[in-house]
Amino acid sequence: MKLFETLKKGAVAAASSYKLILLIWATTMVSAIAVGYPLKSFLNIIFGNSMAMERFTDGFDIGLAGDIGRPLGGLMAAVSAGTLLYSFIGLLIMTFFAGGLFRRFTMSWGGLTVSEFLKASANNFIPFLKLALIMMLVIGAFTFIIIGLPVIIIMAVSGRNMPGGTSLYPLWAVWALGMPVWIFVADASRRWIAATGSRKTFRAIGAGFRALKEKFWLSYGTVLVVVLINSAFIAIAFWYAITKTPDRGIMIFLFFLFTQLLVILRLFMKAWRYASVCEAGSSR
Amino acid sequence: MRKCILVLMLAVPFAMSGQIVVDAPLSDRLTGYDINAVLNPESHIVSGSMSAWWVNNSSQPVAEAMMHMYLNAFSSNKTSFSSGGRWTASGDEGWGWVKIRTMTDDEGNDLSGSMNYVSPDDGNEDDRTVLRLDLPEPVEPGDTLKLMITFDSRLPSPIVRTGYADDFFFVAQWFPKFGVYETAGMRQREADGWNCHQFHPHSEFYANHSVYNVSVTLPDEYVAGSGGKLIEEIDLGNNLKKVVWRAEDIVDFAWTAWPEYKVLTRKWKNVDITLLTSEKGLSKADAQFEAVMYALEYLGEKVGPYPWPHLTFVDPPIIGAGSGGMEYTTLFTSMGGGVVPSFLKISEMVTIHEFGHAYFMGIMASNEFEEPWLDEGINSYWEQRIVDHYYGNGYGLLRLSFLKISDTDQGRLGYIASPSRSVSTNDLPSWMYPHNTYSMMSYNKAATWLHTLEGIIGTATMDDVFREYYRRWSFRHPSGQDFIAVVNDVVRKEHGDSFGENMNWFFDQVLYGNGICDYRLSGITVKKIRSYSGVIDGDSVTYTSSDRKSDTLYLSRVSIERIGEVTLPLEILIGFDNGDEVMETWDGKGSYKDFEYTGTRQAVWAKIDPLDKLDLDVNRINNSWAEKPKHPASRRMMDKLVFYMQMLISIFTI
Ligand SMILES: [Zn+2]
Repeated sequence: MKLFETLKKGAVAAASSYKLILLIWATTMVSAIAVGYPLKSFLNIIFGNSMAMERFTDGFDIGLAGDIGRPLGGLMAAVSAGTLLYSFIGLLIMTFFAGGLFRRFTMSWGGLTVSEFLKASANNFIPFLKLALIMMLVIGAFTFIIIGLPVIIIMAVSGRNMPGGTSLYPLWAVWALGMPVWIFVADASRRWIAATGSRKTFRAIGAGFRALKEKFWLSYGTVLVVVLINSAFIAIAFWYAITKTPDRGIMIFLFFLFTQLLVILRLFMKAWRYASVCEAGSSR
Repeated sequence: MRKCILVLMLAVPFAMSGQIVVDAPLSDRLTGYDINAVLNPESHIVSGSMSAWWVNNSSQPVAEAMMHMYLNAFSSNKTSFSSGGRWTASGDEGWGWVKIRTMTDDEGNDLSGSMNYVSPDDGNEDDRTVLRLDLPEPVEPGDTLKLMITFDSRLPSPIVRTGYADDFFFVAQWFPKFGVYETAGMRQREADGWNCHQFHPHSEFYANHSVYNVSVTLPDEYVAGSGGKLIEEIDLGNNLKKVVWRAEDIVDFAWTAWPEYKVLTRKWKNVDITLLTSEKGLSKADAQFEAVMYALEYLGEKVGPYPWPHLTFVDPPIIGAGSGGMEYTTLFTSMGGGVVPSFLKISEMVTIHEFGHAYFMGIMASNEFEEPWLDEGINSYWEQRIVDHYYGNGYGLLRLSFLKISDTDQGRLGYIASPSRSVSTNDLPSWMYPHNTYSMMSYNKAATWLHTLEGIIGTATMDDVFREYYRRWSFRHPSGQDFIAVVNDVVRKEHGDSFGENMNWFFDQVLYGNGICDYRLSGITVKKIRSYSGVIDGDSVTYTSSDRKSDTLYLSRVSIERIGEVTLPLEILIGFDNGDEVMETWDGKGSYKDFEYTGTRQAVWAKIDPLDKLDLDVNRINNSWAEKPKHPASRRMMDKLVFYMQMLISIFTI
């Protein structure tokens, strides 16, 4: 019951911060288009007056890759470099705005104006960035220990190739059950920074663990539920975006709108997790 | 003369020339092998005692015999096979070889003193893959040379087609085997002689259609299969068993043994099909059977009947992957071992390809050493037709809602994307292709120009070409020239001289030439005709631009350029602003061509080869031109990229 209450309060808090979330969305979209648009132009230049792009109407025809020839290498390199660059920008953007969101969710009442939100984001940016990097490292190490190490051991012992498919399912299950712990700690640590105004990253992580220990099942359960729902949503959103191949102007525009709507929803659902963790920490 | 030899030959009183598998001999059966073999899994040595025979069907006495000793290719890293670095043994246990212990003729005369290793292709003295036997007495025309040989064959590791891995054995190219004695005229040869090449890293094989009686003794926990029909399996006690097979009219005999094989059988018409696979491969078994039946159906209908009542194929496990993707006519190996996801038709493609070799060098037994395009190119062409016909609506290899590729384009891609695509002509012996272009040339380029030939002469004529090829050359040894002669005859019969006196102009460019084919639609210009005046047929004519827009005259010019050396007849489809479409043709020979249209309509787009008949054109992007091309796909791709990037940063940034 307490779990449900927490999730509900988190959802309400996230929903009432819609202006902030739309601001985050707009920032991600503008910066992503800034990276994506030159790639579109590049492709259009390669094809020039050719009508051959008709072959991509219902999906990418790899058979045309050889005809594109050398520029394809340049295009792939540009896509990779663009994605890498955007990952870096994206890390900064998301970390920055997380600072404002956690501030918003740790306030006992009321909202934040946009300028207050940006100010809080700026204040929390450095400790949040440190924390994000540390927690990403921790999760990377966790993944290596649970999945990578056993695979290496199995390969070394049996002298065979990589064990594939279903034989790794149990390991992935353990991994998935462990993940909410790290996510909760990351969120609770940030909650602590946002609430106390302290900039001490390691003390924040300590506080995150303490929060987890205090109310383990509520904390773990909250994150598990939100993460499961988020994962299902992400899977569906990707399935939609990957498989749909609109081929006419208006349909492509609608596709763009709909995929952006999916991004907004995803941002809401992520904020829901932040808010729920903050709720779980503050509820008595 | 030839007839009398044939009669003599058929009178040869060998028990092995009887009929067990097929109703009547399919081939001349100039060679045959009776082999009793024992597999020792610990030493990975197969010990055999063999009686091998060869009939001299020439009109001259023959004083020597030539045999392939393929396994010696694996005996050191100085052989012609391994010196290129394609293969090296996995430790001392991995070297392979074949040793003749004793050799006598059928009268018991010891011949072991008259054996010499020779290296006809490259003079490499460390290569012992060809054995020459100087016979004490020549074999007279019509006579039969019979050899009694005992040998030990140690299998190599890692497996390259043949070899072992743990308790998995694939035993191929494992016994001393006759070369092909070619008579003058055969494959355009000037004088009689043996055709017996060394084993090269990039070469396959060439042999007579033979009869095989093979028995293998091995531990009884092993499951074994071969290209022969299973005659019996005898329990020998002491945990040993003996498996007896017989095969008729096939060019090679291989077998495999592994304790963990799962055996499945199906029947297609009169053909008993056996699949040997692994536990993992069971999930793919239905798809594998389906693929082989598609190939049986398609080639049976378009080329000629599959003449044997049995067929065995293997989906090797991962440890035996090196044996995958190989053909021994009534036995072949697929690939994938059940680990390829089902939307990717790689295993099916390999199954169809290797089955197809039953025709292209199994039945039409061309020389794979000397003319690899004749088996790999033709067979890839058919594989691509079959895969694209049965799977994915023309996109046989991969058809997802957002990603696709046809098998035909996969082959074409290998050719057009190769920087070395013009490095040589396409008619070289397999080991002579420079810069690692053997596969690209023999498989990809050859299949691509065969599709182009189909585009030019039409699918129905192409099918008739292969029916005639089968009719003339089944169970014989055709050359490239023989294939071209069939093409010329069939095209002439069906199309007269509409493509010229013969099709040699095509083969001269694609097979015996190294040029590339590339046509370009350089653009469309439209000019408004203001006014003109002059005299036409004695009448003076004046035209003044009308004020009414619908009456305005335009001169549209569609310009095409030939960039490549290869010239092919082309079709060009031109679209006008009023919706008209006009199909034009051009012989493709000049360096450019303009099509002009005067009228109230304006040309707005044009496409060279709109039906994609000329796969050989290395750039299809420059084949079309539109005033305002629509590129909706690039917008969609950008939208997707933007979405993926936004989602990804929301995921990985905690
Ligand atoms: Zn092949």
